[in-house]
Amino acid sequence: MRRTLSLLIGLLAASSCLSSAARADDTLSFPVLVPLTGFLSLEGTSQRNGAVLALKQTPAGIAIASEVVDTGTSPEAAVTALERAAGRGTVGAVAASMLGTQMLAMLPLAGELKLPLVTVSGTASITEQGNPWVFRFFPGDAVTKAAHARYVVEELGKRQPAVIYQTTAYGQSGKAHLDAAFKALGVTPVFEEGVDPAAKDLLPVLTKALAAKPDVLVLHLHSAPTALLLRQAASSGVTLPIVAGSAMHQPSTAALLEPAELKGVCAETAASPISGGTPEVKAFTDAYRAAFGKEPDAFALGQYDGMTMVLEAVKAGARSPDAIRKALSAETFQGLAMTYKSDGKGNMAHSAVIVCYDGASRVPVLAKRYDDPTLAAK
Amino acid sequence: MGERHSPAETVALIAGALALLVYALAFASPYGLRILTVAGVYALATFGFQIVFGLGGALSLAQGAFFGVGAYVTGILGSRFGLGFEVTFPLSMLVPLLLALPVGLAVLRLESHYFALATLGIAQVLHLLAVNLPELTGGSNGLAGVPAAVLFGWAVPRGLPMAGLVWGLVALGGLIGWRLAGGRLGRSLTMLRDDPLAAATLGLDVGRLRLIAFGISALFAGAAGALAVHTQRVVSPEVLEFPVMVSILTIAIVGGRGQMAGAVLGAVLLLHLPEWFRFLERGYLVVYGVALLATVVLAPDGLTGLLDRIAARLFSRRPRASVEAKEPPRPQNSPDGLAVDDLRKSFGGVRAVDGVSLELRPGSITGLIGPNGSGKSTVINLLSGLERPDAGRVRLGGRDVTGTRADRLARAGLARSFQAAVLPNGAGVLEAVAAARLAVDPDARTAEAHARWALDRLGAGDLAGKGCDGLPAALRRRVELARSLVRRPAVLLLDEPAAGLTDGEKAELAALLRELAQEGVAILLVEHDMGFLLPLAGRVLCLDRGRVIYDGPAGGVRRDPAVAAAYLGRAVPA
Repeated sequence: MRRTLSLLIGLLAASSCLSSAARADDTLSFPVLVPLTGFLSLEGTSQRNGAVLALKQTPAGIAIASEVVDTGTSPEAAVTALERAAGRGTVGAVAASMLGTQMLAMLPLAGELKLPLVTVSGTASITEQGNPWVFRFFPGDAVTKAAHARYVVEELGKRQPAVIYQTTAYGQSGKAHLDAAFKALGVTPVFEEGVDPAAKDLLPVLTKALAAKPDVLVLHLHSAPTALLLRQAASSGVTLPIVAGSAMHQPSTAALLEPAELKGVCAETAASPISGGTPEVKAFTDAYRAAFGKEPDAFALGQYDGMTMVLEAVKAGARSPDAIRKALSAETFQGLAMTYKSDGKGNMAHSAVIVCYDGASRVPVLAKRYDDPTLAAK
Repeated sequence: MGERHSPAETVALIAGALALLVYALAFASPYGLRILTVAGVYALATFGFQIVFGLGGALSLAQGAFFGVGAYVTGILGSRFGLGFEVTFPLSMLVPLLLALPVGLAVLRLESHYFALATLGIAQVLHLLAVNLPELTGGSNGLAGVPAAVLFGWAVPRGLPMAGLVWGLVALGGLIGWRLAGGRLGRSLTMLRDDPLAAATLGLDVGRLRLIAFGISALFAGAAGALAVHTQRVVSPEVLEFPVMVSILTIAIVGGRGQMAGAVLGAVLLLHLPEWFRFLERGYLVVYGVALLATVVLAPDGLTGLLDRIAARLFSRRPRASVEAKEPPRPQNSPDGLAVDDLRKSFGGVRAVDGVSLELRPGSITGLIGPNGSGKSTVINLLSGLERPDAGRVRLGGRDVTGTRADRLARAGLARSFQAAVLPNGAGVLEAVAAARLAVDPDARTAEAHARWALDRLGAGDLAGKGCDGLPAALRRRVELARSLVRRPAVLLLDEPAAGLTDGEKAELAALLRELAQEGVAILLVEHDMGFLLPLAGRVLCLDRGRVIYDGPAGGVRRDPAVAAAYLGRAVPA
């Protein structure tokens, strides 16, 4: 029995030691805890790549360590990953999941551990918890959905939108903000329905939406459902303009469709690095392609900007999580996608863009930029 | 059957428990303690699943849903109303139970795969409700800011205190589960898992037992859900999603089906396994899958089964302590026996039983013969409640019992055997016979004492310590007969009990049946062996295509031309 006991304790202790191998020097650790598997794997991989690329470009003289951990899509896995990361040396900041429910679960522990979470999650409520350790480098729904609604109403002149959204945290949060933005613009959607991300046929909801006689389709769906609905709309001969959520701007979403199926489709997003821009954005896009063999999207760019701002803070002398938090809270940072500045709640990004596809290419062009942080229509 | 471990296995399990304790107290990092805590949560949820699925054989895919309901009850009451653990925890168990009872009444009589689908549907409905009732549940975002478990004013901190709370409840839950599994309930559930029809004919109320198991499983799941929320401090629809259910199912299978120790072993292994390979980024899933597959291949009966095998190889299994025989009380036999009038049953266009009438008086032996397919077994199925008659009346002990359920007939004093002896795989002979008393005896120990009496009476007492697997056909028949005998029935229906017996064994069986008849038991004997049957039976009925073609003294059956034409081949001249 003594031998069995020793063996079992040894096995468990070894696993614990493996996870908590503390570093003796002053190396700061920047764990990347993002969803690499599950329904958000495409977006999560972009987030990962953006963080990893930024950490690869750490300014000289700064010693850092990093580990990528898949959080899947469950809050429990995200919290466990954060606890694991906290036990591995001095953590400077965490590139944290873009999945809202995972962020909500990680926030209390981040508060207890006093670790800054740098994320591109769009879920509004993560910065409404009064937690000073969260920093969002992607415009929240209040910004993007206001841009979404304003483009529909002010630029396209449509006043009878049909809204199809996802029944996830992302979808419900976006839908609530779309409702508010349309209301502020004096518009009431003629149709609103949520769809499960696992739905394999969106023709029924599309048919119902069209039966309500809309003049525009407004989508707020994840990547794969966006592609499915657009394909089914194209094959059904739908000619209405479609303005989709940020998932549509992702090259990985566009890759699921033929260019012709994208004709007349627009999307809101924080940025579209493949659409070109400054030489710095082009350099980022080239470096991203070289490192990962993929096209970057706004999530990758947002996370890249976030981690770059963290590293800039370290370069400026911040050597503890609290010092990094203070820098993120107080400083203004000129990133590649936009200028970032905390609103006091951790919302760093206040700009959104609308990109549109011409039907000939999978690369969208910038149609409209909204820089006003108080986007609500007059 | 139930949960019983050899001394060597017990030592290994105690060593494991001590190892976990030492590890938690002396070695575990906060991260290690969190994994241990989550493993405890899943072990608790799996205890319930072991009862409903492992023991009862009902593949309830609602276990994850009950887990989620418990989580939401704690989340809502804790975050919105500020209630403490002493209130939220019991309510998190009660609400899933209150949900399980009406749901169980509706779905528990469904066949296995329909039952699984129905319970999966429950989870889907609850998930939709959680997503679409944002005012109550927080919608897809869920509810953040669930407080830590507050126990009588003390907020249990994360780390060791929380792990201690969870594992204290795991120990308590495991003890309760272990007692249930080894007791009357656990054995009854195992019986109905292995053969629901046989269980019903032994007097076990299949529906009631499954409902109890379903309810208990909901209690455990609710408790686990409540602890999960205190561990992660947020509740969202993910707790109602299928991966939670898959985790519980995998833990039960990998740990060892029906074993409480298996739930703990499975949970500890499966929660640690992916963490060991986290450094592989998304590649950990491949390694995790391979490791899981290897575990299933190396331990097809789960980790507890593997321990069993290792213990059997290293140590000779100590024989079970002998159980002292005790004669079960003899019920007051009714003077009426069993009376059947104009019984009819069709399957589609085939009339299997067509107007059969018969009477089994106490102390009589009645033979039932006929060619294969003539309806003999169907008559027995109708009389024992496994089939419902289309028409006709059946009276038992003077009461109309037409269409009554098998378990109720069994408890009213009717026992039967099957053409092919039905004995539970993996069970011991004593346990298999004792199962026939579970519906009437106060505890499993008394049932075993009564079982020993029945085996002794059949001259099979030396089989008591053996397993049912691998018993030769004749001994299996004897064990099955002991299961009927131990119930002290008023009416005994035997379907070809002499098949496969030697002449000597047949003679012993005949003597036993005569003894039983002398004690007042009414016996119906379906048999093809005329040499065995005719000297025993006072009266014989012969069926052909569901109809009685002969009903009279045993001595006249060989001379009856209709019987000769349909069954015997040639009439014996008078």
